[in-house]
Amino acid sequence: MTEPAGVTEDEVEALCDRLAREAEANGYHLNPDREMTLDLVRGLTDNKERYGYMLCPCRLSGGSREADLDVICPCDYRDADLDEYDTCY
Amino acid sequence: MAEFEKVEGSKSDHDLRLYAISTCGWCKKTRNFLESNDVAYEYVYVDLLKGQDQAEVVEEVSKLNPDRTFPTLVIDGDEVLIGFKEDAFKEKIL
Repeated sequence: MTEPAGVTEDEVEALCDRLAREAEANGYHLNPDREMTLDLVRGLTDNKERYGYMLCPCRLSGGSREADLDVICPCDYRDADLDEYDTCY
Repeated sequence: MAEFEKVEGSKSDHDLRLYAISTCGWCKKTRNFLESNDVAYEYVYVDLLKGQDQAEVVEEVSKLNPDRTFPTLVIDGDEVLIGFKEDAFKEKIL
């Protein structure tokens, strides 16, 4: 595992906007708390740099892409989390 | 054995142990809640641990929260709160 080299705030904002468009197109909504959502997107970009894929920022890597397939965003647990918590974890 | 980072606070009625991930926004919100309310706690970023330290902490988390989701907050060694639950935090900690 390497430490994230850093993604610019503009890149985080752009990714957040793209994810918001994709979410809306599929009937989902990103958290309207923009600061919170940007934090989560920053977690995704950090993980993309660390692992090579957008591992859920709130999940622990199992050590390989194969082991992490269920927790790459949007993960397999999103809908169950939305049902239970109204948000994903 | 992994070292937990201790955070000082004037409210120390409960023994609080937070298992967190360094990239997790909900974990950050949980830390912000505790610190803005001056609550003493200890935490560890499980993703930043290596080797045996990480394996031991993951085993601890798995017993407390089999889904291994974060944040996982343990109150007084037995009550487990999963996720950022501000109302529950207020009720049980403040």
